[in-house]
This record gives sequence, structure tokens and C-alpha cells, in this order.
Amino acid sequence: MTKTAAVGAAVDVVGVTKMYGPLVAVDDVSVRVAPGEVYGILGPNGAGKTTLLRMLFGLIRPDGGEIRVFGRTWDEAGVHTLDDVAGFIESPKFYPYLTGRQNLEGLALLDGSGLPERIDEVLEVVDLTGRDGDKVGGYSYGMRQRLGVAASLLRSPGLLVLDEPANGLDPAGIRDMRALVKRLAASGLTVLLSSHHMDEVEEICDNVTIMNRGTVAFHGTIDDLRAMAPDPGHVLRTGDDTQAMSIGRTRHPAVGVEHAPEGGLVATGSERDLAAYVADLVRAEVPLLAFTPTRTPLDALFFMLTDARPDDVHLPREKQVVR
Amino acid sequence: MTTATLAPAARTDVRRREASLGDAIRWETRKLRAQLRSKALLIGSLVAPIAVVVVVGAQSRPPKDSLFGRFSTVNGFAMALLVLGFASQWILPLVTAVVAGDIFASEDQHGTWKTVLTRSVSRSRLFWAKVVVAIVFGLLALVLLAAATIGASLLIVGHGPLIGLSGQVIQPSTALPLVAASWATMAPPLVAFTCLALLFSVWSRNAAVGIAAPVVIAMVMQLVGSLGGVEAIRPYLLTTPFEAWHGLLAEPRFTGPILDGAATSAVWAAVSLLAAFLVVRHRDITGG
Ligand SMILES: Nc1ncnc2c1ncn2[C@@H]1O[C@H](COP(=O)(O)OP(=O)(O)OP(=O)(O)O)[C@@H](O)[C@H]1O
Ligand SMILES: [Mg+2]
Repeated sequence: MTKTAAVGAAVDVVGVTKMYGPLVAVDDVSVRVAPGEVYGILGPNGAGKTTLLRMLFGLIRPDGGEIRVFGRTWDEAGVHTLDDVAGFIESPKFYPYLTGRQNLEGLALLDGSGLPERIDEVLEVVDLTGRDGDKVGGYSYGMRQRLGVAASLLRSPGLLVLDEPANGLDPAGIRDMRALVKRLAASGLTVLLSSHHMDEVEEICDNVTIMNRGTVAFHGTIDDLRAMAPDPGHVLRTGDDTQAMSIGRTRHPAVGVEHAPEGGLVATGSERDLAAYVADLVRAEVPLLAFTPTRTPLDALFFMLTDARPDDVHLPREKQVVR
Repeated sequence: MTTATLAPAARTDVRRREASLGDAIRWETRKLRAQLRSKALLIGSLVAPIAVVVVVGAQSRPPKDSLFGRFSTVNGFAMALLVLGFASQWILPLVTAVVAGDIFASEDQHGTWKTVLTRSVSRSRLFWAKVVVAIVFGLLALVLLAAATIGASLLIVGHGPLIGLSGQVIQPSTALPLVAASWATMAPPLVAFTCLALLFSVWSRNAAVGIAAPVVIAMVMQLVGSLGGVEAIRPYLLTTPFEAWHGLLAEPRFTGPILDGAATSAVWAAVSLLAAFLVVRHRDITGG
């Protein structure tokens, strides 16, 4: 029965460890992705996401533990482990002196199947039709990222592994990439996605693993995660911070009010308590200029689980990931 | 077992044909053909000897100190052998290293190891494809160099009887195959230098090192081989086989050095390839 279960999983990582010298990059991590599922691996820089995915692709060897992909391991099946897998690690890389199409043709050769008739189709999916005759050396970062997705789809994989596919893209690029991943996931593909962004995985993933410094900090469904999420904080800008603060302290003990590092106040508490507090401020004629959430509850939880730097908190989300 | 549990796992049987060595060789060849450097090198191998023959042939005073230099301006066979002596010392290791020294390192430079190794081709297959392509390229350059040199020499300088190393007269009908055979004896050490360049390419992950190291090694071996009192190590130097052709032009002819040279080259090639193979098989691909 256990054997059947192991074969049934698209990805079955059991107790995998990888060291870089004295540094434990991945420490006894287990992850199980069911077929058809969209799975997120979430973690801040250096959490070990890329290292884990590199091991899945056989690019690096684990120091301990076992990785099965559709029931196959590298030791037993060699490159056949990847028979039904495609994806990319970090930013996808191509041969700059070849055109986009030549790159894809070459990769199709290395796929053993040579599916050149699919090239037009995958170029269309990632919106690169018309640019496939240009040398990849002249592609923008976003175009290369999309060519990476095209190269993956060329293998018609059952499992798509994407390592931070939206990383380094501009806001429009991020939006497009997310929409594309969402579309692919909806088409029934099993997707294993790594990300820094809670909101990237929250929308499309069924299950998540949150990693931090090589270890698993959380494992479960997005719904489990939501249930654990703390109350959101709100940035409060008033014409009279001192009075606003004293109203909070004296009349609303359930609401925490503190000075924010960038000026203004931060209020935390349940939605009801916050609403009552704000209503009181208005009644007391404290000029109210702004009342905005600092981050989503899941984000807050993510930062808690991974003890990310607190000064990240008030930055717009796109900026939190600058390397 | 119910169909419900089987349904999602239906794709587990997906079995893909692994890319063959032929597929991998075709891919490596395509990349090589798209690179300006390799094309320029082949054109150079064809054009440069012609220029050398024209320039040397026009000298009023022949390079008397070099082997076959004395009659090189009046005899095409002597000219082809003079150029051979020069090419074997300075040109051949460089010519082959230009591609072999780069072919692995360029994957590191472009960060494309992960791109190709996440397809359906094993590391060993990709390794052997690169080895084959680099060796064939080196041999192709040698053939072009030889053909251009011999052709230009005979057409421009002439094809009278050749004076051999023992002072014997060699008729043109015998001289041509001997000259061609002399050029052909370059193949074993050339292949060995190719393998050495491949090793440096793998090990250093840097094309500049992959190209320069074999050339520097050739120069050092050349220098060591020319010193006195090194008879014990001379047979093991990879530059010694480059001189094995001298026996073909002596009277009586002797081929022992050619066979020894081939053996030396084979050992150097095998050791280099084995070391390179082990590095490629076991290294972690963390870059790119
Ligand atoms: N080649 C390497 N040599 C030494 N240490 C490495 C190497 N690659 C990664 N590491 C270390 O391993 C740890 C995990 O890195 P990894 O790249 O897997 O993290 P990540 O979660 O992908 O981070 P990011 O979000 O920045 O991509 C980090 O501490 C990193 O410094
Ligand atoms: Mg990473």
C-alpha cells in the first residue's frame, strides 16, 4: 500500500538534506505533491527553495533523504526521472547567439521527442509569436522568462516546476506571469511553484510549505494557514496623533496603537475593535487622514513564521523582494 | 483498487525516449555552426596557409635553418613540410583548443547547464556529444590546413622531386603520399590536445583558461623537449608525436616514433577524458 501511495504522488520528497560546506541549505525537508495539485513553496531569500528544486531536477545531489518524481528516483531511473517534468530554476537561461526558435528547436532535440510542431503553439501561449526569429541575446528579461515557460511547455509535462517565475519582472510582467501560471494550473497541470510572495501562492495554490533557513516552518492548506493568521495591522494618519493614541489607550484596550517608524500610527486588533476605535476618533473630532492595512493577514503570518525583517513590512509588496 | 485513485496517477507511466547521442551531437553541431568563431577558424585554416605559402615562396633567401627550409622556395613538397613543422609547434594546439576549450565552459558562461540538463539527456551523453564534436572539429581544421598547404605549395611553388632528410631524391609520385602522411601523423597528438583542452574547459569553467592552458602546456613541453638530458621523459611529452613524421622522410624509412607517439597521445587523451568525465558526472550545477 505504501508503495502505491508513493507512486501516486507527483513529487515525494522525504527527509532531504543538502549541505554547502558547513551551511545546511536544506535540512530534513519533506514535501508531497499530489497529481493535479498546485503546490507552493514559500520562503524568504536563502530559505532553500531553489536548492530543493535543483535536487528535484538532479542538478545537485542531496546529502540525505529521497526524492521521487512520479515514483522515480535519480539513482534508479537517471534522466527518466524527468520524463513527465519540465520547468526552470531561477531565471531561465538560453543561448544568446541563437534565436528564440532555434533555442526551442535545440531543446526539443534534447527532449528526444523532437516536437517541433508544438513550437508555434507554445510561443503563442507565452505571447512571443513574432519575436521568435530574434536572437535571445536581444530579449528583455521578461521575454526570456516567458521563453522559459515556453521551453517548459514544449515537453508537454504532467508536472511543471517553476522557481519564482515572477521574480525580477515589472508589475505588468508579474501580473501577466501570474495570470499565465493560473491558466496553466487551471488546465489540470500539476504545478510546483516557489515564491517569496504570499499573494502569489495564496490565490492559486491548494497546499503550501513555508520554508525558512532550510527547514519547514509550515505545512498545510491555504485554509489552515488563514485560520492561523493574526489580525492585520492598519496604518493610521491623523491630524493629532497624541490624542488618537490616548483615545486608543484609554477606551480601546483591545486595540494596540503604536508609533510607526515612518511617522503616523499603527493600530492592530480585530476588525470590529478597529471599527469601534475609528468611530470613536471621528466622534472625538480627531482629523482622520488615512486608514490603510499594512499587509494582508497571510503576509503577516508569513513574516511571523519566517521572522523576516520588520522594516519590510510597510514597503509596497513589489519592493520587498529586491535582491 | 478503484478507478478514482488510479485516475490522477494515470500519467505516471509517461515514458519518454531519451535523447540519443546523435540528437545531442546534432544540437552541439548546430550551436557551433551558429558561432562566428568556429566559422572564422575554419575559413582561416583554409586561407592562412595559402597566404603563408605565397609570402614564404616569394622570399629571395629561403629559411635555411628550418627543416626543409633550404629548398622550400623552389620545391612545393619541401614548402608543405616546412609549414607542417611550423604549424605543429605553434598552431595546432591553439586551433583545436579554440572550440574544445570553450565547449564546456560556455555552458557555465551562459548558465545553460541547467537548461539542457533539465531535458531528457543524460550528463554522460551530453559529455560524449561535446567530445565527439570537439574532436571532429579539430580534425576538420587539420584536414583543411593540410589540404590548403599542400595544394597551395604544389600549385604556387612547384612539384619537382624532393630531397629527403638523408639526402635521397624522392620522386613526386612518392613525395605526395609521404607529405600527406606526414600531415596525417598530426592527428593523434591533435586529438590528445583536444582532450586536454576539454579537461581544462570542464575543470576551470572558463573558456579563456580552456583555450590558453593547452597552448601554454604545448609551449612548455616544446621547451622541455628541446633541452638536453631529458631523454627519459621526452617520449611522454605530448609534443614529441608532432615530430614523429621525420622518419617518413628518411632513408631507410622508420615509423617507430609514429606508433610510440600514437600510444603517448592515446594515454594523454584517455586520462584527460576520464578526469573530465568524472567532473561532469559528479559536479553540482549550482550556477545559472
Ligand atoms: N552554490 C552554493 N554554495 C554555497 N552556498 C549556497 C549555494 N547555493 C545556495 N547556497 C546557500 O544555501 C541557502 C539556500 O539557498 P537557496 O538559493 O536555495 O535559497 P532560496 O530560497 O532559493 O532563496 P532566494 O529566494 O533568494 O532564491 C542560502 O543560505 C545560500 O546562501
Ligand atoms: Mg531561489
